[in-house]
Amino acid sequence: MEFKKRVSRITAFVNRNISKEILDSLKEVGVIDLHLAAARSPVIEERKGIFALLPGRDLVDDPLDIISFLVARKVGDPVLNLIIEKGRLNLPGRGSVYSEEINLVMAHELCQENKPAPFATKKIPFQELTGVCCIVQRGQGDSVARVALDTGICVPSLHFGVGTGVRDKMGLLRITIPAEKEVINIATSPYDAEVIMEMMIEVGKLDQPGKGFIYLYPLEQGIINMKVTRGEHRHAASIEQVVAAIDHIRGGAEWRRKSSTVEKTGEKSRDYLTGLVDLTLLCDGGTGTDLVGVAMSAGAAGATIARLKHVRPPDSPLSEVSPAREACSMIVTDNQVGGILNALEEAGAFTDSCHGQIQLRRVPKAFTYLGK
Amino acid sequence: MTQQAARKIKVSFSQAFGLLAPYIKDRVIGQIKSVWLIILYLVFFQTVILGIRIADASIIAIGIVLVVAGLTFFMEGLFLGLMPLGELVGVKLPQKSILPVILCFALVLGFLATLAEPAIQILQVAGRAVNPWEAPLLFLLLSKYSHILVYSVGAGVGIAVAFGMIRFHYNWSLKPFIYILVGGLLSLTIWAFFDQNMLTITGLAWDCGAVTTGPVTVPLILALGIGICRMVGSAESGTMGFGVVTLASLFPILTVLLLGAFLLGSVPEPMKEVDFFKKKNRRTTETLFDNKEGMVRYVLFNASIESQIAYFGGSKERMIQYLEELSENESKRTAVFGDDPDALKRWAIAHGTEEQRYSVFGSLDAVQKAVSRYSTSLKKAVDVPNLLVRNSIVAVKAIGLLTLPLFLVLFLLLREKLPRTDEILAGLLFTILGMGIFSIGIELGLDKLGNQVGSALPSSFKTIQLLDEKRNIINFDPDLVESAISPEGEKLYFFYARIGSDYVPIPYDEKSFDPVTKQYRCTPTKGPLFGSEGSFGGIAVVLLFAFVMGYGATLAEPALNALGLTVEELTVGTFRKSLLMQAVAVGVGVGIALGVAKIVWDIPLVWLLAPPYLLLIPITKLSTEEFVNIGWDSAGVTTGPITVPLVLAMGLGIGSQVGVVEGFGILAIASVCPILSVLAVGLRVNRKRKAALTEVVQTAKEETLLDGI
Repeated sequence: MEFKKRVSRITAFVNRNISKEILDSLKEVGVIDLHLAAARSPVIEERKGIFALLPGRDLVDDPLDIISFLVARKVGDPVLNLIIEKGRLNLPGRGSVYSEEINLVMAHELCQENKPAPFATKKIPFQELTGVCCIVQRGQGDSVARVALDTGICVPSLHFGVGTGVRDKMGLLRITIPAEKEVINIATSPYDAEVIMEMMIEVGKLDQPGKGFIYLYPLEQGIINMKVTRGEHRHAASIEQVVAAIDHIRGGAEWRRKSSTVEKTGEKSRDYLTGLVDLTLLCDGGTGTDLVGVAMSAGAAGATIARLKHVRPPDSPLSEVSPAREACSMIVTDNQVGGILNALEEAGAFTDSCHGQIQLRRVPKAFTYLGK
Repeated sequence: MTQQAARKIKVSFSQAFGLLAPYIKDRVIGQIKSVWLIILYLVFFQTVILGIRIADASIIAIGIVLVVAGLTFFMEGLFLGLMPLGELVGVKLPQKSILPVILCFALVLGFLATLAEPAIQILQVAGRAVNPWEAPLLFLLLSKYSHILVYSVGAGVGIAVAFGMIRFHYNWSLKPFIYILVGGLLSLTIWAFFDQNMLTITGLAWDCGAVTTGPVTVPLILALGIGICRMVGSAESGTMGFGVVTLASLFPILTVLLLGAFLLGSVPEPMKEVDFFKKKNRRTTETLFDNKEGMVRYVLFNASIESQIAYFGGSKERMIQYLEELSENESKRTAVFGDDPDALKRWAIAHGTEEQRYSVFGSLDAVQKAVSRYSTSLKKAVDVPNLLVRNSIVAVKAIGLLTLPLFLVLFLLLREKLPRTDEILAGLLFTILGMGIFSIGIELGLDKLGNQVGSALPSSFKTIQLLDEKRNIINFDPDLVESAISPEGEKLYFFYARIGSDYVPIPYDEKSFDPVTKQYRCTPTKGPLFGSEGSFGGIAVVLLFAFVMGYGATLAEPALNALGLTVEELTVGTFRKSLLMQAVAVGVGVGIALGVAKIVWDIPLVWLLAPPYLLLIPITKLSTEEFVNIGWDSAGVTTGPITVPLVLAMGLGIGSQVGVVEGFGILAIASVCPILSVLAVGLRVNRKRKAALTEVVQTAKEETLLDGI
């Protein structure tokens, strides 16, 4: 079942109240095979009067749906446009969406990209983007996510995952190491991504053992939600509206790059990992742990497994299978990929029992504690 | 996989310690955080507000340490063993089995859950003051037919779990179930309001619903539901696995009310005590007891002397004759008093009149000797082996009975192997260990503390006797009594007694002195502390106490903690555990305060249950499916092993002081209020979210309008 195919992966992070509309309109144009994951997006709530003096969490969380699917390269832009238009994502506060190019390396024959007929949409200006993904222990997500909020970059998305790695090589003592992880995703302009990554490493203390993992991944284009605060504002327009308007006039976000303005704290020279690959295995619910075990014995260091729901039409041949799916993301080196793929295929990852699908994307820069 | 096992990391002892120490510390601190409020509050209230010394303080302190240790083990065990096991079965069942099989499994599991965590003892405690003449049907259900009551509750829970599974399978909303069940239950309750016998069991029925779902059942059923929901249903559906607990709280109410209606024809109408024991009613009244001897025993222990005479056909001689017969004839005695050869004598000392004592002992001298022998050994030491054995059995039974069907289904029906066997088994062991330690701790610490505060609580609004400090003074000499005078010129009598190392003046009451045995029974009194007898101020203190106690106890409740974490997990943190816990705790606090108000002012239960449930119907309609499921489920889990004994101790303490027959109903009210508070929070959160979302669209629309101009 091997083939190397370049496809567009579209990921939309939208408020749960509007995800139904978007799903319906995607179905209409022929995007029928997609994945849904539950997430939350924190925003800063500006407190008024004496409430501002009270201690406590000043973040409020909105329920978010992460809609992700693969489409053929040529319909990537129209589908992106459609989502922005239907979800009105060009208005701050409703959600983000972006596309990226990935390699569909191996997959069960029923788990391929969507191939909708080409259609025309209104043209909406996109931004150039880079993604930052950070995986930390459950409970530590808020502080890392705050970096994006405090710098006004974008509204982050957080979802839960289960980590495997060192933990699974230990005996019963592994219960002392929590497996629950929080995965923070943000997208920002390529000019800012590295600065943000640096700040997140600082805040999340990722240079200490067992704290987490962070990596950059290239995106193509999209639109991001920048409404990082909620509450009454005292001006004619909120700052997010002003920024969105200037972006519109300038035709991009380069005018507000942070690299020159944000003070680089300490400017440590870090040993970044470069030239890695994010190998994501999508498979049926319940099969992820075993498959990750197979991949780990073939060289992968560990994985983060997140739960998804598969959305497909009722007449799909897959509708007999449970909609529960798992996404196992493994960061590996280029030359490990072949071995892992072989091992997975041998373990039956692409048969009817797992319905596996492997997506590869470049990870130009990553960081974690590597030991002294 | 074998390859992986071969590469296992070796952990040195110091590394293991380095991993274990913070792990244990975090968990213990977590549990201390959940129980500190209720414990400090009870201690503070008793010592500072009521001003009563805490008796057995050292045993209570040990008990509290055990509660924390037990809770730590129990909660960790839930998350390591019990819940993953439940979820695993939930995930595999729909894949490898068909709906009828799942339903049978659900029925059995629900039924066993009730047997595993029997709430019936709790209810029997609540109804220990119930007597057969005022509430025949209630008495019958709590004594002779208590096993049938348990089975009917079990059937209710079984049906509920089965309906829950059907609901997940077909992706049905919880709302119609709520409308139908609540509507039906309220109509039944209102009908019951007009039947004297049914009226007495409505409190019991609604409480059955509240107490059935215990700390093992709830997490297990939640996990099972979550597992099933993950595998069935479409991706867009809102069901997440909640809602079974709601059904398991509502169905048992229905089955108990129906059981009551079914038995209604066979029980006598409520009547006066003396009439109840008269021979002409014997045919119907005897059906309430196991047999003839059971009724005799009840008469001797619980009825007034007039009723006792009425039972023996109105002739005192026949009663005395009967007692003499008992003391001589061993087989007759064991039939009534059981195997203990001293039981009759002990009864005579504790309950008998002088004539009755005389008839049992034969001579005045023997009576006197017996009195001093039996009444000096009042103080009981803690029976450690008994405590250990009893609570271990409870723990093993609760977890064993519930996990056994899971293992059977997993191995025999699904033919699955257990993943991470060591982890799950360790988890189950932790749960059993935790539950055992925790129950001992509750019995030694929290129960005792609760009972002390509960029985002393009414002293804030009326004069009470401190039964804890009751003393028998033997060889009392009336010459010791001295006199004093009040400013109004009233002559008062008192005497000095040495209690501990102090000489304390004690008011003398002639009725407490028994000249035959030369004993003076002295019971110190206290109160009213706030205002005059029965003043509103004093009652307000009690209501406030009830609120804070309900609030604090709820925060410590293990099932609610498990639900809170599960909710946070499944909503990806958008519904935080702390928010849910606060909302539920405030709701329970209000509910318990209302329940106390019910007892103090003797308000009929239906007046307190019908309005909130009626109010809940429109609120449920307005709320989102997510919040409806979570809100209604939290009602079922609130009343657990920490809240229930405290509430009962308080309810009975107040009930016995104000003369109310039964302490039922408080738990039911404490279950409905949290639904209201959680749904109210849900409505507010949703309104804010919607507002934030539409705000930008609104402004954008205005902009485009302006552009057009």
